[in-house]
Amino acid sequence: MSTYIVTVTSADRVGIVHAVTGALRDQGGNIIELSQTVMRGYFTIILAVEFEKPQNVEKLRTVIAYQGREFELTVAVIEANPRDVVAPVKGERFILTVLGDDHPGNIHGIAGGLASRGVNIVDLHARTDGPRFSMVMEAFLPSDLSPLELKADLEQFGKGLGLEAFVQHENIFLATSEPGPVRVGQSRMTHPSIEGAAGVSH
Amino acid sequence: MYRTEDVLATLGMVRSYKLDVRTVTMGLDLQPCASPDPKVLCDQIRARMIKYAGRLREVCKEVEARYGIPIVNRRLAVSPIASVAAGHSTEGILAVARTLDSVAEEIGVDLVGGFTALVQKGWTESDRRLIEALPEVLSTTQRVCSSVNVGTTAAGINMDAILRLGYILKDAAERTRSHDGFGCAKLVIFGNAPNDNPFMAGAFHGAGEPDCVINIGVSGPGVVKGAVEDLVANSKPTLGEIAEEIKSTAFRVTRVGELIGREVAARLGVPFGIVDLSLAPTPQVGDSVGEILQAMGVKRLGAPGTTAALALLNDAVKKGGSFASSSVGGLSGAFVAVSEDCALADAVERGDLTLAKLEAMTAVCSVGLDMIAVPGDTDAETLAALIADEVAIGVINHKTTAVRVIPVPGKKAGEMAVFGGLFGQTVILPIHAAGGSTEFVRHGGRIPAPLSSLRN
Repeated sequence: MSTYIVTVTSADRVGIVHAVTGALRDQGGNIIELSQTVMRGYFTIILAVEFEKPQNVEKLRTVIAYQGREFELTVAVIEANPRDVVAPVKGERFILTVLGDDHPGNIHGIAGGLASRGVNIVDLHARTDGPRFSMVMEAFLPSDLSPLELKADLEQFGKGLGLEAFVQHENIFLATSEPGPVRVGQSRMTHPSIEGAAGVSH
Repeated sequence: MYRTEDVLATLGMVRSYKLDVRTVTMGLDLQPCASPDPKVLCDQIRARMIKYAGRLREVCKEVEARYGIPIVNRRLAVSPIASVAAGHSTEGILAVARTLDSVAEEIGVDLVGGFTALVQKGWTESDRRLIEALPEVLSTTQRVCSSVNVGTTAAGINMDAILRLGYILKDAAERTRSHDGFGCAKLVIFGNAPNDNPFMAGAFHGAGEPDCVINIGVSGPGVVKGAVEDLVANSKPTLGEIAEEIKSTAFRVTRVGELIGREVAARLGVPFGIVDLSLAPTPQVGDSVGEILQAMGVKRLGAPGTTAALALLNDAVKKGGSFASSSVGGLSGAFVAVSEDCALADAVERGDLTLAKLEAMTAVCSVGLDMIAVPGDTDAETLAALIADEVAIGVINHKTTAVRVIPVPGKKAGEMAVFGGLFGQTVILPIHAAGGSTEFVRHGGRIPAPLSSLRN
């Protein structure tokens, strides 16, 4: 099996997912993971696709772009190499929230602080609402890093920038937003993109 | 992937609306410490408290940091001391109280409840000794909290104990005169006391409980108030819609409590017990049960409608909490602790909220006439009659009620009583027709258990 990572961006229109996944199906690919969002009117999709035989990356890119030519897609395809996938940070999943005043460099500075502590961000949403900035991240904290230490780091960065930081284990959000039994202890899964990700047929 | 809105909604409860875990209370059985030698008894109590609760503070700090939810108090509720110290002299019972006080301080526990006697049907020699020791204990210890259960639906009401407690309250208040009779704030007189209540001053580790257990008291008046205010500001809700909003908010608050409780219990290697849903106010603006009623449209607390609004609130909290957790217990209702609730205290000061109205309100919520200051010259019999009225509401209606009343020495109705900290302050309420029921309470004996059929 050969796996490819495909990203597609364009102005948002109805039918893009249909076109992109159709092209992949026609080439014999099976989508094993997909994430899509629309941000400020622009569509972005990232897919992991498996093929029985190795594909020509440039040909695959061209086929997708052609299939969606009416949408003027920007397409990138790379081959997934198991050697590129490093072992995930061993630790637990926390939700990191930063709220406050919007400044250029907020995300860069916060991400730098997290990287220096070995924190692996696996999901991140940030937005501005007028002068207000909010950023919510899912991240794995190394087991030797306490949430209090990380909170102190982020607060140190946010000092003077009008930013507040919160570091909370994900279980608090599961407890308050899901009706299932309250869960304590370890996080749900270590790294969904590597372990146990189910294939999605199309 | 979590929705940003869900994350911010949960975070907002803590950040904007003062959601916290009011108390992590460890229930601890002290019966195995019993010994005829008072020194051995006290040594064994100390060893057992340290063995089980020695890490409570540390673990609470870990869990607080992990979830970003403040844990305001760490408390201990022990077996009723009248039973643990049965057979001991007054000196022995006082030594136990001092031991509880000093060990609580040593291990970083804020309060320890369980200096308790259960006398609903009658009292033992040990119960009487403990009750007689109350003024000394309440005036000389810092962290020891006391309770006396004087009635149950099954047993009736022990009027001998209630009359004696009228005198005990006067004595305890006098001994803490410089602090407006604050000693009485650490004594709760119950009808139908729960065995697993985590809130002070009435917590104790009752019969049928395991060796050690973690119980949780959540808070959240601010969260509920915020939810109701948002709903009212953005729509014209019916009362049914307001109840739905309170239910869903109570769900979230309860889930936070259960998560924290289970995590603390797991880390200590002891069972998790219950979440007490009670909306517990603090004197801070924005953390008040009275303000929720105001957000619902009862602008002047004490006006007609206050009891109905409180009934809606109390019921909706229970419904949301019961769906959130199968481990709901304790008192689980809205507290109307007057001095601890800025809106209620303001209503008392304005004259809108009277003792009679408060008593009516306690018929539809927990826990009773709580943190109420009355004139210092109120006679013991009148205090006893006040207790009897409130306990009767609970006994007849199959619910918990309680009295925590402070006769403030040297002060009259309308003057301010200041207790400080979480205990707050309040204007002293007048008692109408005080002294008018002396002969009734002096009859003594027991008011029989009520009929359980013909319930209208």
